Parts: sequence; C-alpha cells; structure tokens
Amino acid sequence: MAQNISPEHSGVDSAKQGANSCAAKHGHAVSKRLQKELMNLMMATEKGISAFPDGENIFKWIGTIAGPANTVYVGQKYRLSLEFPNSYPYAPPAVKFLTPCFHPNVDLAGCICLDILKDKWSALYDVRTILLSIQSLLGEPNNDSPLNAQAAMMWADQAEYKKYLDAFYEKHKDT
Amino acid sequence: MDIGLLWFEISRSFPILSGNVAITYSDDDSHHQRCKDIISLGLSDALSEIVFSEIQCAVRDKIVPLFWSNFPIGLGITEQTIESQFLMFHQFASAVGNLQKNVSCLEIFIERLNKLDPRQNIDSRKLHAILLKTLLGQMPTGFNEVVSAFYCVAFQIYIQMYTNPTAVLTDAELIMNKKECSGCKNEMNGCECQNLDILINKTNKALREMELLDGIAGESLTLLVQKCIKGHIKETCHGIFDRSFLRQLEIWLDETIINWLRKIFSHVCMHSQTPETCTSNIIKGFKVKLTYFLYEHLALSIIEQFFSIIIDFPDSIPAIDDLKICMEKIDMRKHFIRTLTNTLKVRVLHPGVNTMDILTGYIAAIKAIRYLDNSGIILETVTTPIRDYLRKRSDTVRRVVTGLTEEGPTDLTEELAKGESSKENAKQDTNDELNNWENWLPDSYGIDQTARAQLINVNRSADIISMVVDIYGSKELFMNEYRNLMADRLLTYLDFNADKEIRNLELLKLRFGDSLLHSCEVMLKDLTDSKRINSHISSDTKYKANKIFDISAFTISAQFWPTFNKESLELPDEIANEFEKYTKAYEAYKGNRTLNWRTVTGRVHILIEIGQRIIEMTVSPTHAIILYHFQDKDEWILEDLSQITKVPSTILRRRIEFWISHDLIKEIRPGVFKLVEDDGKKSPFEKTQVSQSLGEEDVESAMASASDQREEELQVFWSYIVGMLTNLDSLPLDRIHQMLKLFASHGGGIEFTQDELKNFLQRKVRFNLNPEIHVMYAWSYAYRSARKGHWESLARDRDRFRKRIENTSKFINPILTPEHRSFIYNTRIDKNM
Amino acid sequence: MKLTIKSWTGVATWRWIANDENCGICRMSFESTCPECSLPGDDCPLVWGVCSHCFHMHCIVKWLNLQTMNKQCPMCRQSWKFNIH
Repeated sequence: MAQNISPEHSGVDSAKQGANSCAAKHGHAVSKRLQKELMNLMMATEKGISAFPDGENIFKWIGTIAGPANTVYVGQKYRLSLEFPNSYPYAPPAVKFLTPCFHPNVDLAGCICLDILKDKWSALYDVRTILLSIQSLLGEPNNDSPLNAQAAMMWADQAEYKKYLDAFYEKHKDT
Repeated sequence: MDIGLLWFEISRSFPILSGNVAITYSDDDSHHQRCKDIISLGLSDALSEIVFSEIQCAVRDKIVPLFWSNFPIGLGITEQTIESQFLMFHQFASAVGNLQKNVSCLEIFIERLNKLDPRQNIDSRKLHAILLKTLLGQMPTGFNEVVSAFYCVAFQIYIQMYTNPTAVLTDAELIMNKKECSGCKNEMNGCECQNLDILINKTNKALREMELLDGIAGESLTLLVQKCIKGHIKETCHGIFDRSFLRQLEIWLDETIINWLRKIFSHVCMHSQTPETCTSNIIKGFKVKLTYFLYEHLALSIIEQFFSIIIDFPDSIPAIDDLKICMEKIDMRKHFIRTLTNTLKVRVLHPGVNTMDILTGYIAAIKAIRYLDNSGIILETVTTPIRDYLRKRSDTVRRVVTGLTEEGPTDLTEELAKGESSKENAKQDTNDELNNWENWLPDSYGIDQTARAQLINVNRSADIISMVVDIYGSKELFMNEYRNLMADRLLTYLDFNADKEIRNLELLKLRFGDSLLHSCEVMLKDLTDSKRINSHISSDTKYKANKIFDISAFTISAQFWPTFNKESLELPDEIANEFEKYTKAYEAYKGNRTLNWRTVTGRVHILIEIGQRIIEMTVSPTHAIILYHFQDKDEWILEDLSQITKVPSTILRRRIEFWISHDLIKEIRPGVFKLVEDDGKKSPFEKTQVSQSLGEEDVESAMASASDQREEELQVFWSYIVGMLTNLDSLPLDRIHQMLKLFASHGGGIEFTQDELKNFLQRKVRFNLNPEIHVMYAWSYAYRSARKGHWESLARDRDRFRKRIENTSKFINPILTPEHRSFIYNTRIDKNM
Repeated sequence: MKLTIKSWTGVATWRWIANDENCGICRMSFESTCPECSLPGDDCPLVWGVCSHCFHMHCIVKWLNLQTMNKQCPMCRQSWKFNIH
C-alpha cells in the first residue's frame, strides 16, 4: 500500500524535487484514463455496480455495489471509496468500504483483502472490474486469510450468518 | 373758478379724457397754468387717477384692438410662401410702427401728469407693462406665425447683408448668376435689403422702447433660432462623418446667431444698469441656452446616423469624437441605446440580411461603440440583441470561421493576426491597473447599480475575436465548428492550400490554446502524410504494374476527425478490386495497418464517350458509379440501382438529377431511368471536350450534422447524471452542471448552460407509478420555494398516513383476503350451523 | 457509352490490424495515441507480445518497467516477449 499515496500529496513531493511539470503531465495522463473509464462506466448498462467521482477531484471516486443475487448479501447496498494514485493504472487504487460491511475479508475499518488490489494488480483492471470483483467477493469469501475472524467463523452457517448480517446491515447502513 | 372751464382746459391737455388718443393741443405755458390751478384745488391726485384709468381704457379698447386689426384673424397660413412671408413682414412692421405712435401719445400724457404733480412720478414702464398684458390678453391665434415670418425675413436679410461673403457681387455676377437677392428675394438690381434693414431696425427699436420685444417676439424668436440651428446642422453635417463639426458650429453660432440676437437686443434696457451689461447678460443667457441646444441637436443628428457611422468606422471617428463631447455635456445614453438598438433591429436583424453582413456590422459596431464609450455598458446593451439573433442563425459559426481564415470583409483575419500582441496584453492585465493608471477613466456617471453589476462580467479588454466567439458563449463550441468546417474543406477540396491552413491553425492556437486545436493539427498532418503515402505507393512497382486507374488516397486518423455521416456507396467489384490493391500496397508499406475506404467521399476524374461526344468531368464517387452502371445496362429501375449501389433511393434520385441535367440520363417513366445515347440534336459546341467540375449544390458535407451529434451528447449526459445521483445521492443543479462540465466534456465542444440542463432534467423527471430510479435533484431556489406553502404539511400528512396504512395493513391484509375470510367462515360459523 | 475512370481521389481511414479496439492500459483507442503522445500512427505505434496481445508501445513499456519481479502481459499474465514480425 506504500505506493498508494494521494496524488495531491505526491504532487507536492515531486514539486519539492523540482519535477513538478513532469508530475503534472503524468497526472493529466491518469485523469485522461479515468475520464475514459468514467465514460465507459456511464455508458455501460451494468446492473448492480456504479461509481462516480466524489467532487471535483477525479482521483477520488465513490462506488456503489449491490449485494449479489443468491447470496446472503442480496438486497443490500454498499458504498465504497476509491482513491487513485498518480501511477494508476500501473498501480492499483486504494479501495475501502464506506458502508460498514460484515464479511470475512473486510475489516471493521472497511479495508478489503483482495489479491487483485495488491500483488495481482494489472494495468488492465479498471473501476468496473474492481467493483465486479468486490461484488463477487461478497458471495465467495476467502476464509483462509480472514480480516474479520468472527465473520469467517460464522460463514459456515448461512442462516445464522444472514440473520446476523441483516441486523448488522440495518444498524450500520446509514452510517 | 369755473369748474366747467377748467375741465375744458384739462381736456385740452389730456384729450384722452374726451376719448381721444391723438394729441390735439400742446401748449406748455397754458398747461403749466392749468397744473397750478389743479394743484391749488387739490385735485391732482384725482385727476391723475382719472387720466390713468382712461389711458388703460384706451389701451384696452382702442390701441390694442387697433394693433390686432392689422392682422386678419385666421390668417394662419401653415405653408408660408415667400409672398405671404413678406406680406406678414410688412404687416408686422407697420403695425408696430402705428402702435408706437399711439403709445408715444400716451407717454406724453404720462409725462404731463408727472409735470402736474412731480410727486406722482408715474413710470412709463407701468404703461408698457399694461400694454404688454393687454396685448397678450387679446392676442389672436396665428400671430406667432406673423412674428416668426417677420424675423425669418429679418434673419435672411441679416445673413445677406452682414455675413454673406457673396454680398459684394460684381456686376457680371449679378447678371450672370444671381437673379434674385437671397435677402429680400427681389431682383438683384431692385434689391431692397438696405431699406428693409432700416425698417427692421426701426421695428426692433420700437419694440424695444415699448419693452415688448421679449413678450411679443421672444417665443417666436427662440423657435426660429432653434429651427435655424437644426437646419444648419442638417445642412452642414448630415452624412459627413470624417470631419469634426463641433468647433465650426460653435463659431457659426457665435458669429451668426448670437450676433444677430445682439443686434436685435442691443439697448433693450433703458431703465436699469448700463445698457451694455444688460444686453450682454441677455445675450449670455441666450448663448448658454443655444449652445446646449446646438450640442443636443448635433448629438441627436449623429445618433440618428450612427448606423452609417458604424459602417464607416474608422473613417467616422471625428463624428464619434463630436458625439463624445456632446454626451459629456448632456446625458443621452438612454436615447442613444434606444435609437441604435432600433436602427440595428430595422437595418440588420432580419432575414433579408445575410449572416456575413450582420457579422461585419457587429464587428464594426463593437469597434465604434467601444471608441465612444469605454465603460462597455452601451456596447453590452446594444450588441446583446445582435448576439441573440446571430445565435439563432445556423451558419453563424461557419461564417465566423470563414471570416477568421479567409480574407473577407469582416477584418477578422486581421484581428487574428493581431492575436499574439493582444494575448500578451492579457497577461499584463493584472498589472495594468497599476502601470497604466494615468490612462484610467472613471465610469461615466449615471450608470445605475444593475448596469454596474453587469459590468463586472464584461471584460473591458475583450478583443473583437473574443466578442465574436462570445456569440456562442464558448470557445469550445466555436473550435468544434472550426474543426467541422476544416474537415469539410479538406475532404471537399482535396487539393487545398495546406500552408495557409497551417498558418491559420498556428494563429488560432496562439489564441485558443493547443488542446482545443489538437485534432485540427492531426487532421493537417494526415493530409501531409497522405501525400507521402500516395507518392510511395504510386512508385511501388508491384502496385504500378497492375493498376487500372490512379488512386490517390486521403488517409485519415478517424479518431481525430468529426463523425462522418452515415451515407454509403457500394462499388462494383472491378473498382473495389482497385482499392483492394491500394490497400494491399498500404499494408505492405505500413506494417500491421490497413485501410477502411469511405467510398462515398472523394472525387473521380472520368472520361465519358457517348455517341459522338467525349466529356471529361470531375464528379463525386456516387455520380461516377451511377453512370458506371449504365455502361452495361442502359435502363435502370431506381430501386434496383439503389440495391446494387447501397445508396438510399431518395439520395440516389438526387444524384441522378445531376446526369439528367447533363442530358446523359432521362427519366422515361417514373422511377425508370435510361441512358441518352442519341445526341443528334446537339450543337457542335457540345461535342467538343467539356471539362466540368462539381457545381456548388453538389458539394455536400460529409460530416454528421450538429443536431445529430447534440442528441447523442444529451444521451451521454443522462447516463452521467444517473451515475452521479446513484453514488452521490442528491445534488443541487449547479453541482450537476459543474460535474458534467468536469467529467463529461472530453473531446471538447460540449457546452450547455445551467438552464439548458434544468430543462433537460425536467423533461426527464416524470410521474411514474412504479419508479425504478429515485432521481432526486435539488437546486437551491426551487428547493426553498418548494418548502414554502401549505402542501408541505399535506405531504407530511400523506406520508404519515401512508406509514400508518402500511403498519396497519401488516395485520389487516391477511385477515381481509378471501381465503382467510372463507376459512374463518368455515371454521367459526359454518361449523356452528 | 463508355466510361473511363482516369483517376480517383478517395478517402480512407487507417486502422491497426489488432484483435481489440482500445489499448487495455490507457483505454485509448489504438488509432488514437497513448496519453503521452499527440500524434497517432507512426509516432505512437502498437506492439504485439508473443501472447498475441497488443498495446500502445509506450504503455506496455512503462508497465514492464514498473514490474519488478517477472515481466508479465497485463492481459494474460504470461511473461511478456515482444513479437517481432
């Protein structure tokens, strides 16, 4: 996660190093790609995932995913934040749940344990594929390396899990 | 003493007591004696009272009616001929003469009264005042015309005698040129100016002495002088703008009008102060008034002709300078704006004027008005309607672009060339206020607050091009149109002047920045690249060996060009094969790349041999292919041809018209076309080689129309808005607008106002019984106003009620179902039965 | 009637012969440029890997330079080798 410094921050750094104009040019290339992604995302008719820049900074997006059908998460809606580094798409964005999510691979702060957001990142991934991956992660958790041990343990009993999850969701969905 | 005798004596001194105005008897000694008698009898007071009242009666009943009797009532001739003018002139002069005679008698009575009893000291001014009041009280209508006729003649004679340099004419001139004196309108050799002048002076003197000048003649005189000034302004300045007239007019006013007035009014005051100071006071008053009048009317005259001044700019600068001075003295801003706006509306803003001319007018107006008023307010107010109108014309942007890039009457090319310097100025703008403080001018006074607020939005230093580009509100849209136009031009005239385009592009880049014109740059590079590719391929031996005709291709980078329209054209195999060969050669030259032909665009040089005729032409591919198909089959049904060429029949028919107009194809039956091989009737002239190129109407844009593109854009926006609202919940209108501008306006040229967006969104929001998307958008004004009013409580009640129903229905609904009811019936009631 | 075509000035759009339309890395069209370039075509060419995936040359080179361990095709994660025709 070390490379996921916020673009503004790294901009200041590079300005200090005197490579200001280079960074600006780079930033432009990244925002160009993000604009393109946004366009594709907006034009796509994909149900269940959506995202849009949060405010004027195109490096910070808010995403929404719907709980996938045939899973305990069905009918639920989760907000996520996506922050893109200056080196995007060569480096992955920092993705976090904003809506508290009770899930084996999501911790209480919203951090997600997903390989494609870390070592398995590829420049070909984009907001759409990230959100789709997270969406499918909801229904297919990786219980071997849980961030939320309680959830991992409860997963086996889906009915019980669902009951707990619904209560959890109802309690936290508006926070 | 015999009272009877005394009365008789007194009546002799004051004939007025027996109803006589004229003096019949005058003997100072006996008068003196009588005075003593009267004084000794203590009757002087009573007598002077009686005499004075008789004088008043005489004035009222005799003198004044007598004066008026000189002017037949109802004389009122509206159109004054020279004859009637002179008639009135003499009438007036003699009437005044007689009046003075009578009045002088009365003055003698008063003098006698004064002698009778020096204590009384009755002033003749009192008499004059009574006279004036009585005159005015009995004045018949139409009298002012008589007065003005008199002074009109007087002025003519004055001009003739005192100012006209040609007054001294040689005898030869008298005979040759002038048959008539411009003063008295008599034959030159019978000129009576001298006599008339004496008469005029006498009349004026009489009026002055009776202190009637101002009262009787004042109004008419002022009107006359004003008419003179108006006439003079019209005569000297109308239609001439390249010269300043203000100074000249001031001199004229002073030397002619003021001098004449001075002549009339000299020695007016006989009673107070020294005559000189009194006259000069009157004249001073006149001068101030008349100078303002002069300014006002010069300004009015210039404003009336301001449209011509705009057209003549910058040759008309002197006229604008004059107007500037006048407007400093008199606030005519409102009148100016109203008049000019109207003139522009009448002269320019109607369908009869072509767009180029409106633009020319617009630019000239900007220049001229900016010269007149540096505050920008007049400019903004006057030009807003022009901009609004131009925006409604579909070809405006095109015209501006043409104007910018070609030598045209709009001078835009010139302005563009100036671009660099003005951009530099813009950079210095921030320092401008400090560095250039000596040239700073305060806003003209009288600008109200709303206008001042507006002014903040007006960039004072905005140059002509920005003002022109501003018609559309955004340079993106403008640049987009430039790109479309350039694409059209490049594709229509495939051999155009690249150097000129590049130069223009560089100039535009300086002004509008690189990013907006990046596509244009690629387009031009495509052109030069294509030339290189063509020469390479045409020298390719393998390609050269088996080609049938020369193909030169314009290889373009589609991503950077505007969207093409969707017209199509299917080539016959043997021709398509030729293109295939070219494509192969291209693929060999540029590894991993290939070509997609846009068959419908381009130009074909063809040779037609038909009967005895050989025609050489350059036509569009569609035209060529149509005729090509007539080689194998000389009769075609429209639908068949449409199918084989993949050209829609409506378009195909239009294209066939071209050949019909060239007598090569005939529509023998509706929808059936036949080749015309028979040319027996043709004249020898037409048998010769004809080289023709496409007519204007055949040149059609290869690009998709702006409205098609717009519709697509709006759909894109909608997707963005949905995405925005899904992730960011509700947003106020201005935020949506801002976000769209930020994120949805790639490619440039997507420009819309908040109002447009609002309209668009309002179209999107509909009442739906089963809404899927809960769109909520709010903008502060509507949001607040929606909160007001009683429906707020209604809505709240409805909501509460709905919730209550929902809560209750959880329990009630199952009970109310038919199944449940029948179940209960069966279990509870039926059982008991 | 005989119609002879002497010469034809046509218009064609060029495109890369590739199995996709856009560069997966920068998402720009192949016929457009990578974000760093301004002129398409010769100045911003495509390159193919032996895995048959192609990208803007500038994009893939940058990706490979940033991969510290094994240089893989971002598409198929096979190790990247340029396919030189």
